[in-house]
Formats: sequence, structure tokens, C-alpha cells
Amino acid sequence: MSIKRLSAAALAGVVAAALVAFAPTASAASDRTVKIAGWGAKSGPLRSFGVNSEAVLKAAVQAINDAGGVKLGDGTMADMELDYHDSACNADQAISVARKVESQSEALIGIGPTCSGAAAAMYGIFQKTVDDDSDTGLQFPILTDTAIRPGLAKKSQWTFRNVPNEITMYDELFKWLREQYPDVSTIYGGTETDQAHSKLTFAIVIVPMAKKHGFEWVGGGIEGVTGAVREGYENVLEVSKSSNWLLADTNFSVQARAFKKSGADMMIVSSHPFTTCGMLKEMKRQRINPKVLVGLTSSSSAETLKGCADAAEGIYIPTGFAPITEAAAMVAAAAEANGGSADLHSAAAWENAHIIKQVVEATGVMAKPETLAEDRRKMRDGLEALVNVDGLLGEIGRVQDEGESIKPYVFVQARSGDWEVVHDPR
Amino acid sequence: MGDFWFEFVEITQTIGDGLFFGATYSLIGIGFTLIFGAMHKLNMTYAAASLAGAYVGLAAFTFVNAPALVVFLISALASGLIGLVVYVACFRFIPVNNHLAALMASIGALFFIDEIVVHTTDGSPLTFPAMFEYVMLEVGPWGLRGDLLFVLAVSVASTVGLLYVLYRSRLGLATRAVSQQDVAARLCGIDVHRTNATTFVLAGLLGGVAGAMTAAAVGVLSPLVTVPLTVKGLIVTVIGGLGSIPGAIVAGLLVGGLENVFLYFRGVNERDMYVLLLLFVFLVFRPHGIFGSAIDRD
Repeated sequence: MSIKRLSAAALAGVVAAALVAFAPTASAASDRTVKIAGWGAKSGPLRSFGVNSEAVLKAAVQAINDAGGVKLGDGTMADMELDYHDSACNADQAISVARKVESQSEALIGIGPTCSGAAAAMYGIFQKTVDDDSDTGLQFPILTDTAIRPGLAKKSQWTFRNVPNEITMYDELFKWLREQYPDVSTIYGGTETDQAHSKLTFAIVIVPMAKKHGFEWVGGGIEGVTGAVREGYENVLEVSKSSNWLLADTNFSVQARAFKKSGADMMIVSSHPFTTCGMLKEMKRQRINPKVLVGLTSSSSAETLKGCADAAEGIYIPTGFAPITEAAAMVAAAAEANGGSADLHSAAAWENAHIIKQVVEATGVMAKPETLAEDRRKMRDGLEALVNVDGLLGEIGRVQDEGESIKPYVFVQARSGDWEVVHDPR
Repeated sequence: MGDFWFEFVEITQTIGDGLFFGATYSLIGIGFTLIFGAMHKLNMTYAAASLAGAYVGLAAFTFVNAPALVVFLISALASGLIGLVVYVACFRFIPVNNHLAALMASIGALFFIDEIVVHTTDGSPLTFPAMFEYVMLEVGPWGLRGDLLFVLAVSVASTVGLLYVLYRSRLGLATRAVSQQDVAARLCGIDVHRTNATTFVLAGLLGGVAGAMTAAAVGVLSPLVTVPLTVKGLIVTVIGGLGSIPGAIVAGLLVGGLENVFLYFRGVNERDMYVLLLLFVFLVFRPHGIFGSAIDRD
């Protein structure tokens, strides 16, 4: 490095340090704040999801404020302020929190909820089409971080999501598995049928995508499943086809025997950590050893490894988060410091806070009580206009007319009690 | 012949697995029925307290790596203690004839205990130690899970112990006396509150064993199990006959076996519907259950 370059680097360092040092002063000078509201499951059996999201959001807001805050429309620097609410995994509570935050707080935007069922119901109370005066639905922007069931955000033009696209992820996963395991030809599996995300992802996405890449359901296939998303999905869940269970089930002997009887090369367990563990343990007991085991995105978390690391050994899952970049590793550490853990759901909360900062700065939000409605509208329009944003694993693309994201992803495999990245298609 | 034999093995294996797993339902049912028998009140907290006891046992495993047997023992003791607290909080000071207040108090305590567990564990599923977890005894084409055999053995031993206490000890005599006529029992010098409290502790000890056995049978403990286990316990209690311990045992095994049969033939979405239909049939046509004393409809 030449002296000239070194001087330039040193100068840049000094400027950056000065900016950081003076930023709190500028921020402190402003009595305005960029208020955001978050909500998720902080009670009930899915509490870990809300705890993780809140931990990551807090860390993100802290990082933004430490770096000087958010630049408002008039050039003032303002701190970001987070209020996090408990909406459990419950549609009524999610709707109630959304209404309360919209009407009783000065939050510019909401981040949540945890569960897809709650999100689907909650999105229904928002104005469907912007500027439709006949629609009295809420006019308040939402940027969901966790609820992942495909295709939800298009319910309203005020609702947006930054969640992994499971269709793309499983499409690519089965394509990759086809290359890795050319001798694998048959598949079989099951899901928890009382959990919307597990069930629909299994029937609408996973089984069709496996079919698309040449894997055959044992016994000659399932009627109507052609390899296209959604086609024939009702038939996937028939008793004679897949072997399923419920979210709180404790006995998996019948289902595991059906798996064994199938003799499939590849087996799919599409459920959340508790029953994933119950089912995998039963499979281990019955000495079921498929050549390939595939799980649901939501099970690529610390919970699964806490519950059944030994039984989960070898399972493949696509995920939108792994601490494989400097930024992602930093977020993982920050989440842990805040009492949570970063996974494919909660890590999105970090990205969301930074997306909000970007949109506030791009649209000239004023963050004054008298401009609240106008600012919320600016946030919505800003989110809709986004084309690409920086994510923890790389660039996040947007599907503007659907309010959805196209996130980078990797494939992980459970190995010796840890999730290891086995394929990185970025 | 081959297909018939295969199907026969499948069905008998399905029933067998269900019967073994039903042993945990029996234990929960016994707890419900024991308290109902003594006080003629339903303790809705019972399954939640049983699982909370299992969580305390799990803490011993997590923090000091206690062996499985010690974990089960701690689970039972903790659940017994929680049972005592539940008695004091939900039953002791509520007038004897106010059944609704006691019922509602115990429902409140159910959710309170559940939320404590959820907040302590963040709702994460946690590995629970098991005895003979991956042992599978093979008898011809049938397989018997070693851990479920252990669960059954512990259930039988616990039930025998309980029956011994009830029918061969002064405490059992007092419990039965209070159950039959509490005023007469009081006149005979029996301390009714102490007897009821002891019954709650006894039921709690059994519940702790049930909670630990359920968790050990699944291999994972989660607060998700609380409400379904409460419902199963109530179904078993009603089918077996409110207040009947042999009834709870038989009904637990029956529900476990039938549950698997319904699952095998009709799938998981219809399974619980048939179990609840069974409950409905009993309530209408045999309201005193299999072994309960006859109830006069009028």
C-alpha cells in the first residue's frame, strides 16, 4: 500500500470516527424519534420465535442508533425507537395489536407477526388497495419478518414481507439433491396437519418441487401432483398417501411405521421442532435410515438441535440464514447478547430495521406527530418502490406487486449437533 | 395370505404401541380420578403440574447431568410439591359447595403454570432423558419399544404402590373416609384438610411420574403437550368412571390403543374426532363409565 493510499485510508478512518463520535450529539439534539413497533409470539408454546425476533430487533435498533441514527427529511438525525408487543401465535391477538399500534401509537411501521395463520388473518384488516376510499381497512405499513407461508403479502398493498421464498428454496434444494444423489428415486413423507405453514409448504411446495426434479412418490405418485406449485395439493394429504401428525402429538409409532413400510430413498419431515424431534426419534428407534432426509425451513433452528441433535443428524434443510458472512456472524452474536438466537426467521428482523432506515431516509419521513399519516404513507410507498436491499447473506430482491422478497439462501445439514452449510448457491 | 399376514402384523403392532403409550394416559387419569374421588372436584391443573414437575426433573438433568432415574424421582417430588401448592391456592379456602369456583381456579392455575414453563424455557422443545430409549425388543415380526416397556412397568409399580397406600394404610383409610362422607370423617377426628392435601401430594407424585414418563416416551419435553394431556386425562377419567382407579387404568390403555387404531385406519385428522365421539357415547349411554358407581339420571 502506498503512502498516499495509506493517508487516504487514515483520513477516511478519522472522518468515520468523527462522524460516529459526533452523531450521538446530533441525535441528542433532536427530540424526534423514528418509532417502530414489533409483535410476535412472546407467550405460548412458540414463545422462542418472539423472543428471538425481539432480541434481534433490539440489537439492530441499538446498532443503528450507535451509528448516528436515522436521517429525517429535514436533515435532522433521529434515534430509532422500538416497542415490542406480544401477539402470541394467535390471529385475534395479532389483529388487536395491529389495531392498537395503528391507532394509539406514533409507530411508522409494524414488524410481525410470528405465525402464518395469524398473519393471514391480520393482513385481512388492512386496506386492500391504496387510495380506495371505499375500503376502511388499516392504512399502516407492515414488514413481516417471520410468518413464512407462501403468498400472503399480496392480501393488502400495505403489507410487505422479508421472508425466504420457500418455492425457490425447495426447487433448488431438490435440483441439488438430484445431482448429489443420482441413485435416489423415491420419496415419502408427512407433516403436521394442524399447522398451516408446515402443511401447506409440504403439500403446495415440497412434494411438487420434488416431483418436478424427478423424484417419485412411492406407490406410483399422487394424483394431480405434476411438479407445478399447488397442483394436486389436496391429494398429498390423503390418508392413503402421506403419513401425518398434529403439532402437539406425542406418539409417532404408526407414522414412523408407514415411513418404514414405504421404503423410500428420501423421506420428508415437514414440521416444527417439537414434532420433528418426536418423529425423528421414533424413526431412529424403528431403525429407519433413508438415504436422504429433508426437513421444513422452520426446523433449521437451535430448537431442533436442543431437542434431538442425534436423531436429526444428516437432515437437509434450506434456510435464509447462516452465520457465513461477517454481517451474519455479527448478528448471531448480537442476538445471543440480547438473550435470543438468530435463525432464518429472526435474522430478517435485523434486515427489516435497516430496510426501514433506508426507506425513511429515501422518502423524507419527518417523524412529527402532525405528519404521522403522511409518514406512514411514505413508508408504504418507499417499501413498494424498493428493488434491491442489502441482506445478511447478500442482496435481497423484491417482488414489488406482491410485497414479497427474494432472499439469498443456503442449504444446511445437521452434523454433530450443529448446522453446517453444505451448499451455497449465492 | 402374505398381504393378510402383513396387515395383521401391522394392526396388532398398532394396537400394541397404543396400549403401551396408553400407560401414560392411565397415570394421568388416575391422578384426576384420585382427586375427584377424594373431593368430588376436578383438578384441571393436574396435567400441567405433572409436566411442570417433569421440567424440574429436567433442570437436574441439564444443570448437574443427573441420571434418568434421579430425574424421574425429582420430577415426582416436584410435582407432589406443586400439587400441594395447587391445593392451597385453588381448593383449600374455597367453600366446599362452590364447585364452579374451584374448577375455574384450577383452570386459571393450569394456564398460569403453563406460562411459567413457557417463559422459563421460551417454549423450546428440550431433550428429556429416557431409559432404554433406542432399545427395541423384537418378537417375530413385532417390535416392543424398550422405553415404553419401562413406562408400563413404572406405571404398574406406581399404581400398585398407590393402591397399597389407599387400602392398606391409615392415610388411605382417612382418604376413603373423607371421600365417602367428609362430615362423618370429621366427626371421627380425621383432619379433612390435611387428608385432602395429602391426596393432592400423592396424586402429584404420581403425576410427576406420568409427566416424566410421557416426556421420556417422546424423548422431548414441550409445553405444547399440556392441554392435549389434560384433555386425554379427562377423557380417560370419564370413560373409566369418575373416582375409579381400575377404571382409569383400563380406560387409559383403551384410549391409547383406540387412538392408534383410528389413526391407522382414518388418519390423524379424524383420529381425535373418534376419541371424542367415544367420550360422548360414554357420557350418554354409560355416564358412570366402565367402573364408576352408577349415577341416577334423575
